[in-house]
Amino acid sequence: MPTTPQQLSPIEEQEKLLDEALGVVKAQAFQMKRCLDKYKLMDALKHASAMLAELRTSLLSPKSYYELYMAITDELRHMELYLLDEFQKGRKVADLYELVQYAGNIVPRLYLLITVGLVYIKSNSNLKRDLLKDLVEMCRGVQHPLRGLFLRNYLLQCTRNVLPDVPEVDNEDSPEGNVRDSVDFVLMNFAEMNKLWVRMQHQGHSRERQHREKEREELRILVGTNLVRLSQLESVTLEKYQKLVLPGILEQVVSLFPDEFHIQTLRPFLKSCAELESGVNVKNIVISLMERLGNYSQRSNVKNIVISLMERLGNYSQRSDGVGMSSSNEPDHPNGFLADVQLFEIFSDQVSSIISTRQYLPPEDMVSLQVALVNLALKCYPAKVEYIDKVMLSTVEIFQRLGMDRLESNSMVARELSKLLKIPLDHYNNLLTVLKLQHYAGLMQHLDYSEEVEQALSLVSTLVADQSDQPSGEIDLEELSEEQSLLARFIHQFRSTVSDQQYLILIAARKILGAGGQMRIKHTLPPLVFQAYQLAYKYRDNKKEDEMWEKKCQKIFQFSHSTITALVKAELAELPLRLFLQGALAIDQIGFDNHETVAYEFLSQAFSLYEDEISDSKAQLAAITLIVGTLEQISCFSEENAEPLRTQCALAASKLLKKPDQCRGVATCSHLFWSGKSLVSNREEIHDGKRVVECLKKGLRIAKQCMDVSVQVQLFIELTNHYIYFYEKGNDQVTVQIINQVIAKIKDEIPNLESSEETEQIQKHFSNTIEHLKSRMECSEIDGVSYKDIEV
Amino acid sequence: MSFFGFGQSAEIDIHLDGQETRKTAEVKTEDGKKEKLLLYYDGETVSGKVNISLKKAGSKLEHQGIKIEFIGQIELYYDRGNHHEFTSLVKELARPGEMIAHTSYPFEFSCVEKPFEVYTGSNVKLRYFLRVTIVRRIADLVKEIDIAVHTLSSYPDMNNPIKMEVGIEDCLHIEFEYNKSKYHLKDVIVGKIYFLLVRIKIKHMEIAIIKRETTGSGPNTFTENETIAKYEIMDGAPVRGESIPIRVFLAGYDLTPTMRDINKKFSVRYYLNLVLMDTEDRRYFKQQEIILWRKGDKQRKPNLQAQNTLVASHLVKNEPHQDNKENQNTTNNQSQQQSIKEDFTRANNSQSTENIHNDPFESKTTEAPIQNMQREAGDGQIDTEASAEQ
Repeated sequence: MPTTPQQLSPIEEQEKLLDEALGVVKAQAFQMKRCLDKYKLMDALKHASAMLAELRTSLLSPKSYYELYMAITDELRHMELYLLDEFQKGRKVADLYELVQYAGNIVPRLYLLITVGLVYIKSNSNLKRDLLKDLVEMCRGVQHPLRGLFLRNYLLQCTRNVLPDVPEVDNEDSPEGNVRDSVDFVLMNFAEMNKLWVRMQHQGHSRERQHREKEREELRILVGTNLVRLSQLESVTLEKYQKLVLPGILEQVVSLFPDEFHIQTLRPFLKSCAELESGVNVKNIVISLMERLGNYSQRSNVKNIVISLMERLGNYSQRSDGVGMSSSNEPDHPNGFLADVQLFEIFSDQVSSIISTRQYLPPEDMVSLQVALVNLALKCYPAKVEYIDKVMLSTVEIFQRLGMDRLESNSMVARELSKLLKIPLDHYNNLLTVLKLQHYAGLMQHLDYSEEVEQALSLVSTLVADQSDQPSGEIDLEELSEEQSLLARFIHQFRSTVSDQQYLILIAARKILGAGGQMRIKHTLPPLVFQAYQLAYKYRDNKKEDEMWEKKCQKIFQFSHSTITALVKAELAELPLRLFLQGALAIDQIGFDNHETVAYEFLSQAFSLYEDEISDSKAQLAAITLIVGTLEQISCFSEENAEPLRTQCALAASKLLKKPDQCRGVATCSHLFWSGKSLVSNREEIHDGKRVVECLKKGLRIAKQCMDVSVQVQLFIELTNHYIYFYEKGNDQVTVQIINQVIAKIKDEIPNLESSEETEQIQKHFSNTIEHLKSRMECSEIDGVSYKDIEV
Repeated sequence: MSFFGFGQSAEIDIHLDGQETRKTAEVKTEDGKKEKLLLYYDGETVSGKVNISLKKAGSKLEHQGIKIEFIGQIELYYDRGNHHEFTSLVKELARPGEMIAHTSYPFEFSCVEKPFEVYTGSNVKLRYFLRVTIVRRIADLVKEIDIAVHTLSSYPDMNNPIKMEVGIEDCLHIEFEYNKSKYHLKDVIVGKIYFLLVRIKIKHMEIAIIKRETTGSGPNTFTENETIAKYEIMDGAPVRGESIPIRVFLAGYDLTPTMRDINKKFSVRYYLNLVLMDTEDRRYFKQQEIILWRKGDKQRKPNLQAQNTLVASHLVKNEPHQDNKENQNTTNNQSQQQSIKEDFTRANNSQSTENIHNDPFESKTTEAPIQNMQREAGDGQIDTEASAEQ
């Protein structure tokens, strides 16, 4: 094609291109007809294909393309008539249907296929349904909007007289098809054409946008033809229209027209939806429309788009039936146009009317409608909390009307409801805002208990778990622990009057809190464990009412055990140790069936933690002291269990690293053998004086090994205190001689000490001890213990 | 055939039995023309008569014997001197002596094995012919006649669809499906392309049938790619979620059955090449081998019925998409591709012993890995490129 050097205007260029194309068409059509006259079908098809190849162009405007299309389809009519004639004479169509599919290019091929297919249908109506389906499917191959639109238009035009138009008969699967097939066919074609038509607007440069819009307007009629075709089907009954045709069309309408159209036509549209017969699935239509509008308003927050929309909307709202146009003149208000049509009010009214008029709508559908509504409100009116609250209120009302007080957890409704409740949480990310929703709590009550807790925790979800959007920088530990302690306090508030519920709550909370990460469980799990212990006490108090209380207590301690183990896994050692000890105490006091074993388990866990995890010597001392204290308190062990534990304590104490620590540890252990209790001693103190003295002697030995004199003296004084204590308690193994020896030793050493603050303290401690002894001596013979032999 | 114009000469004519009724097949000659030859199948008897008429009546023809040979041979064009005969049968028609008058000798090669199909390619030719030789002292009189041979196969037991997800990361992901992996020569390829991700502006999409002829072995391997057909299956740019139907009738193209390692001399394989072209004329393609086989004509179903099944069977089904996002680097090199697949299969087997007896094809198609498509700039001919790499 020679191009002229001078620039042609677009219109001239179009004309030129069209002329050239029409020239080719004319020539090829002539050849085709000549071949047909000579009965050379193959050659005729070749020419037809060459002619149709002109429709492959991308250069023509829709208008010119239309002219070309008209010219070509005109010529194709000849072909069609010839073929019809041929086939009435008995030629095989099937072969030809295959033959035309050898055309290498898809556009000519499909035009030929439609032409031949039509003849095929006419000559053999048994294949009508399959062929129609085949044709409308094959047309998918053309995805170019303009060419696709015209091709599908040709399809529609060709098939207009062959669409099956007989009423649907039950249980009859006729190959000729019935009106349902026709409706499916046309709707499918309609849907595809819509897609192509909508796609046109997104193609090409944005500066040609207006031009393109104009072109699209011109093509609108092609799409509309589908509807005309539908309306011409005589067998479409009212019922069919309602069930089949209208929903299909409406869905297309939703996706077809621009958003701003929808906003203005909402009211009538939704009204007509509400008036549809039951059986039409309106839900999908309404929800998709709402979502679309929701998205739209978000997108449109981009300022300049909004301004251009404002102008348009200004015009629209003047025409529309007076739905408040006051705010449309405020271009600084980005959502002004939405206020214009009171989007939310419309939807909420419509949704409630849909819900109230449709008795058979399942409750989960109602709730999911509400979910969509909340989404819309959040997207369009993020600032208007009251809208959300309104939805909550209406949902509460729905439940009240339905008489549903408690929803089974995991039911469809409950799931939808928790979805509904989560939306504001996710969106606001701010507890205070959510708390503004007055009916939120009311709605929450409908959930099952454990779900309630989950809900409550997700309220504070930012606190509960690591957020994905957390700034990657260093976390302020102090701040974190502060907020976590608040959360811990909050956890203490989980109370239920019914113990069983309380247990469920704890389990639910554990699940959520457990996911909080190491930084948090340190703070959040301990309160849970204490809650569990309290719960166990509660069961004990009500043991008369609940036969199962022992089993339940055991469960609770299992729960506590696993919770504490979670903390152990988080490489915290001291905290779980203390929790275990606390647990052992609780178990001892509750005394349920089998409690001895459980308590032993708790204590042995504490020991193994002590051995494996605690390495700091100070912490070790503190831990051993705690263990000793606990063990001393516990009275539920038989000798068989108590003995190893005590010995273990003494052993552990004597294995501490630093001598002073050893000394103090051993001294502490001595009390185990005095005031410790067990089943053998009938839960009384065992008063094993010999072992006590052994411990203290060992303490003395260790103290002597200390190099630092001041430490040595300090330890001696402490040991003296222990001796005196036991002496006073009436341990006959503690003799006056021993006490005297130690006091003498101290007296020897004290002068050697360098004077310092420490020494002063030591002296003070010693003199206090002596004072005590003196006072005892003065009021001698109390409790039958004699002090007179003690040398002060 | 006499070079000197004197002495007795004779005209040899080979007449095959049933010549008038036997089916013929078109066979390409080396210069690209087609000739019609009588068609035989494996195991069929080749029989007929050799008529020898003397040119000069009255004078006698002296000869050292007359024989007829049935020969199947492979000619490699780059090695014209050597013909590899894979079948050679000889029958003696006459002992040495004199021929006085026009004579006719009947012959019969009964139930001849004809293991291969005749083939004329760009580097190789496989032919069957009968050769009558009148042995003489100076110059033998020779007459040859070619016959066509077709090998027929029965329906394959295993014929799984080819299903694969391919793409270029963050650019184009498609899933394609061909209904079978083995097609007979009059078959229809039905399939669909499902677009999972489209970030390029596609102009059109086509399916090409490529014939790859490999001759020789070792360093002397020659590969010749020929695009048999190009078939546009989509026009314009699809969006995500679109599925495009494929229907290609094979009967109209010049195809042969797939031949593998024919007498260790050559192979002919066929590939479906799915090509997408974007608006900047870049090509994205994925080749997939298909096996072609020849079906006996007799069992051919009535046309109408065949049409019927074909109409229904192509319809787009909504199957769940396999998201086996296993990226494998494949290159143009077919052998490499093959090895990757084998690896894949082997791994599968070691995991579960139950699968050991499965056909490797099966695991291949059910767990189609996503593979990279090729992309190249401009309208470069892939054929040449592919052969250059081999």
